[in-house]
Amino acid sequence: MVSHVTDSTFNSEVLNSDKPVLVDFFATWCGPCKMLAPVIEEVAQKMEGEVKVVKLDVDENPQTSRMYGIMSVPTMVLFKDGKPVGKLVGFNPAERIESALRGALGI
Amino acid sequence: MYDIAIIGKGPAGISAAITAHARNKKVIVFGGDSKKLLLSPSIPNYPGLMEIKGTEFVKRLNEHLASTDAVLSKKMVTAVYSMGGYFAIQAQNDMIEAKSVIIATGVDFKKSIENEDTFLGMGVSYCATCDAPLYRGKTVAVVGYNKESIEEANFLSEVCSKVYFISMTREPYNFNENVEVIKDIPVKFEGHMHAQKLILKNTEVVADGFFVIKDSYPLTSLVPGLDVDGPHVVVNRAMETNMKGVFAAGDVTGRPYQNAKAVGEGQVAALSAVDFLNGRDK
Ligand SMILES: Cc1cc2nc3c(=O)[nH]c(=O)nc-3n(C[C@H](O)[C@H](O)[C@H](O)COP(=O)(O)OP(=O)(O)OC[C@H]3O[C@@H](n4cnc5c(N)ncnc54)[C@H](O)[C@@H]3O)c2cc1C
Repeated sequence: MVSHVTDSTFNSEVLNSDKPVLVDFFATWCGPCKMLAPVIEEVAQKMEGEVKVVKLDVDENPQTSRMYGIMSVPTMVLFKDGKPVGKLVGFNPAERIESALRGALGI
Repeated sequence: MYDIAIIGKGPAGISAAITAHARNKKVIVFGGDSKKLLLSPSIPNYPGLMEIKGTEFVKRLNEHLASTDAVLSKKMVTAVYSMGGYFAIQAQNDMIEAKSVIIATGVDFKKSIENEDTFLGMGVSYCATCDAPLYRGKTVAVVGYNKESIEEANFLSEVCSKVYFISMTREPYNFNENVEVIKDIPVKFEGHMHAQKLILKNTEVVADGFFVIKDSYPLTSLVPGLDVDGPHVVVNRAMETNMKGVFAAGDVTGRPYQNAKAVGEGQVAALSAVDFLNGRDK
């Protein structure tokens, strides 16, 4: 199961993570986000050990969402060493997410 | 899961739906009535229906479509994703799955605004209902090309503090108080990382988000990975595209832009989709 992060846990779970973290910014009212949920699970399993995958509810965590300029959901942001290094907007199939992650991380 | 998702309810899409239904396929058709047909005063060259009025042709096509059990959705499709083995179709805020897709969206020569594609999802959106909650209490701008854009602007004005409406349509409007209408021509989006400003011919609009509401979307954002040639989808005689399971028919495949050609191609596309489905279910 992909775990949830919040405004208050974002620092410890994402920014200070020693592994790269993919954050799925989603909203409960968004259809494509629901569709992405199982895809994100699949990516998390495939990339286990290499990338940590978490989700963030944009309505409940406005601070983080504003900070990273989330203007459309779903948006996936990849963080490495506390910094955003890549962004994918909208629904994407697992393969595309995986290849984007590998590309961004050079793995 | 549908067998065939048909994007477009013009003569090409409806023809495809009729043939797919005759072959017992589970079909969904997206889109509203063809504006081209509604605008045609009289059609002199459709065999058997001499000088039929465009509006009458739409009525008859819809009656024929209603006699099938195709599911109809008025929603605009914003994207089709290949999931490897099936397709995920995003229609505004709905996600629908289908084994094959027929693109029958007609042709549109309206140019996109400069940088519209670059900022799509980064401050530029094609769908108010999808993204409105993210702009609660903020300022947004709507570039409106059709009647629906007026409804979308009013919907946004209930959520946002201020809405600029850049009117590219002659449809009458009756806006809430916090909507300001701007009569000017959009030129390009500007911004750092995300769209922050829309430059118009005579003025500019600064907003937190921009909604472009129009009758069709660029093929490259509609179906990522699709082989296109300008405003057209590249197809062969079987109406197959470069993507397995994706077919196209009608004006979207190129000239001549004619009803009889659209109807013929719709049928071929449906039969090719049926072949594709039967082959893969074996
Ligand atoms: C004024 C005028 C007169 C004409 N006269 C004639 C004539 O006399 N004879 C003749 O043969 N032809 C004539 N034509 C051309 C004819 O109307 C077109 O060739 C025909 O409509 C093409 O059909 P189509 O199904 O390919 O596309 P269209 O009829 O353009 O239909 C496109 C459909 O796709 C939908 N759509 C588009 N994008 C999306 C999306 N993203 N999601 C969901 N739905 C979408 C639209 O809502 C619409 O339902 C005329 C056209 C005009 C404008």
